[in-house]
Amino acid sequence: MKGNRRSGTRETAIAAVALLIVLVVPFVHRSPAFEDFVIRLSSMALFATSLNLLVGNTGMVSFGHGMFYGLGAYAFALMMQMTELSLPVAAMLAVLFTTVAALCVGAICVRLSTDYFAFITLAFQMLIYSVIISWQSLTGGDQGLRGGLPRREIFGFDLASQLHLYQCCAVVAVLGLLALRHISASPFGQTLRMIRDNESRTGFLGVVLWRARLWAFTIAGGFAGLGGVLAALFVSGAYPELADWPNSGQAIFAVMLGGINSFLGPVLGAAILLALNDAVARVTEYQGLVLGIVILIFALGLRRGVLDFLRVAWSKDSQ
Amino acid sequence: MSAVITRRTVLAAGTASLLAAPWVARAQANTLRIGMQSILSGPIALLGTSSRNALMMEQDRINAAGGFLGRQIEIVYRDSKGQPQEAARIARELVNSSGCELLIDAEASSASFAVQEVVRSLDVACIHTNSETSSLTADPKIRAPTAFRVARQGVHDAVAGSIYLAEYASAKKLNKWATCSPDYAYGRDTTAQYLQFFKQFKPDLEVITEAWPKLGQPDFTEVITKLIQAKPQALFTLLYAGDLSAFVNQGNIYALFAQMAVATPNVDYPVLAAIKNLPAGIQSATRYLETFPDTPANKEWGQAYFKKWNERPTNWSWQNTVAMQFYEQAIKKANALDGKALAAALSGMRIYTPFGVDGTITMRDDHTTIGYAIGWGQTIPKEPFIVDVKAADWGKIIELETEWKKQQRYI
Repeated sequence: MKGNRRSGTRETAIAAVALLIVLVVPFVHRSPAFEDFVIRLSSMALFATSLNLLVGNTGMVSFGHGMFYGLGAYAFALMMQMTELSLPVAAMLAVLFTTVAALCVGAICVRLSTDYFAFITLAFQMLIYSVIISWQSLTGGDQGLRGGLPRREIFGFDLASQLHLYQCCAVVAVLGLLALRHISASPFGQTLRMIRDNESRTGFLGVVLWRARLWAFTIAGGFAGLGGVLAALFVSGAYPELADWPNSGQAIFAVMLGGINSFLGPVLGAAILLALNDAVARVTEYQGLVLGIVILIFALGLRRGVLDFLRVAWSKDSQ
Repeated sequence: MSAVITRRTVLAAGTASLLAAPWVARAQANTLRIGMQSILSGPIALLGTSSRNALMMEQDRINAAGGFLGRQIEIVYRDSKGQPQEAARIARELVNSSGCELLIDAEASSASFAVQEVVRSLDVACIHTNSETSSLTADPKIRAPTAFRVARQGVHDAVAGSIYLAEYASAKKLNKWATCSPDYAYGRDTTAQYLQFFKQFKPDLEVITEAWPKLGQPDFTEVITKLIQAKPQALFTLLYAGDLSAFVNQGNIYALFAQMAVATPNVDYPVLAAIKNLPAGIQSATRYLETFPDTPANKEWGQAYFKKWNERPTNWSWQNTVAMQFYEQAIKKANALDGKALAAALSGMRIYTPFGVDGTITMRDDHTTIGYAIGWGQTIPKEPFIVDVKAADWGKIIELETEWKKQQRYI
């Protein structure tokens, strides 16, 4: 327990230092491109890391994680447009809404074994996506929610300003990642890894498998929703693509690229994916081809994510 | 001090000039960059490529004439794949890191709304060239101070089309109609809009069946048989691009066009090229036609485009051309490039252009264009493909548009 607490303090310190660096950068050098990148990375990092709570920690490969990202974005954007709630309240309610949605979807999905679990999460995502497309009066259908987000000030910060949005997203992402790290390092996190490694044995130890999985699914959904809220802030609206299956695929790519066994793997994966996308989009129209080749190189060459690869290489060197 | 140049001096000077080179180069080039984003890959890449082709011609023309404010222009092209999130990112990237000072947003509707919000926060001048969704500029809540639209607008086309079709239906005594439009927001909203105006001009109109094929559907058999079984006197369809040519080609097999009159506003040159046997007598709008307006300037532009790209221009090609013509005039007038100055210059501006029904197009104060060529005629299987073109009455269009805006509570 003592060791746990010590590593907890160390991680908080690392997070604080990382946050400090990110917050100081604009005061040294303003680069709108870098700031946009960090805003998008905040959203994608939360999304991918929350997925890894399922994939890496619990061994549940969800193909439908994008539905919670999309739901978070829509719930938040709709509350901002239709109610007079302040931004933090709307954001919290949007996360709460997504968490409840994840609880409901999870209650049906988590009892199924791996392949069927993957299929049914995908099916739920398609259901949610279809609802978004069809419910035009509320969601704007395939055109998305238009008209921007009003009242974007929060404690004296005006999120319409890029710098303030950058600062806000960085703080939310670091706090969110820290919370996910604590969950993953807690006894509950250990239980999840136990389920991943040998579920029968975990069951014999008295752990109620479906309950632990349902908790993991619900928490992951909530954090994906938080990522969706940041995405909605960045694009000033919500679009059905946010809840579509290729978006879930992006999160899975990020997790696989970065490494499923390292906590920061999905964050690195998300950064690589976004940077690659930006770089490739500048040079060629054949983005899919280039991204596909890069992912093949990772999958066939490294055979694991970057951080996992580095960790293995490091421990070999030190032996 | 001796005047001997030492090796060290040469090295120092060399290093200094190397370090300074990019800045010097930038100062010398002083090129004005214009960001253009569109769908350049995937099934509707035609939207982007035919826009880009037109812009490349405009770039050459403008640079040959001395550029903007004495600076040569360079258009930077980006593919958003039509995804709103990516479109928003690219718009920011074009301005923030690629150094673009003006934007041409050649996105389809949903992405153009995402770009609109970015433009609102960046205050840079932007012209939307492909989005036909009326609310982009009609709704004061969505309209942005420095964003304009140089494109057809849904409500204009709906009024013009309905007036023409009501006259046609009355003359031919066609009361029983069917509709067949793509199953998404554009198809459903615009069909409803057409029908609303159509019924206003022809109250005894009856819609006896509706078909809603999916976007990009390869097989229209079930749609075609449903339409034939319902036995309407006429069919109105909003299918477009590849869907429209596939529908016509498959409809020919079932002799659909012999059994009912057909009307569509979406015939464009590439569609005509992809149809094997274009049936004669389809009532069709002109999205872009070399022979309408029937002026030497319009024909000359169409021929120049064909000569350069070995394909005919689309509706999107002329819209992007006109956008550059508006920029050209507005920059001359404002003698500046910043969003506010250009917005002030663009509002109410009238330019001479081959694509206006009377040789001019006006940018109205509500940031959208009027006076562009809208005509309806009927198809024939060979060039010029659409004949007997009647120009729409812009007075009537604006009158009904205003009524519609009031209904929507935009004014």
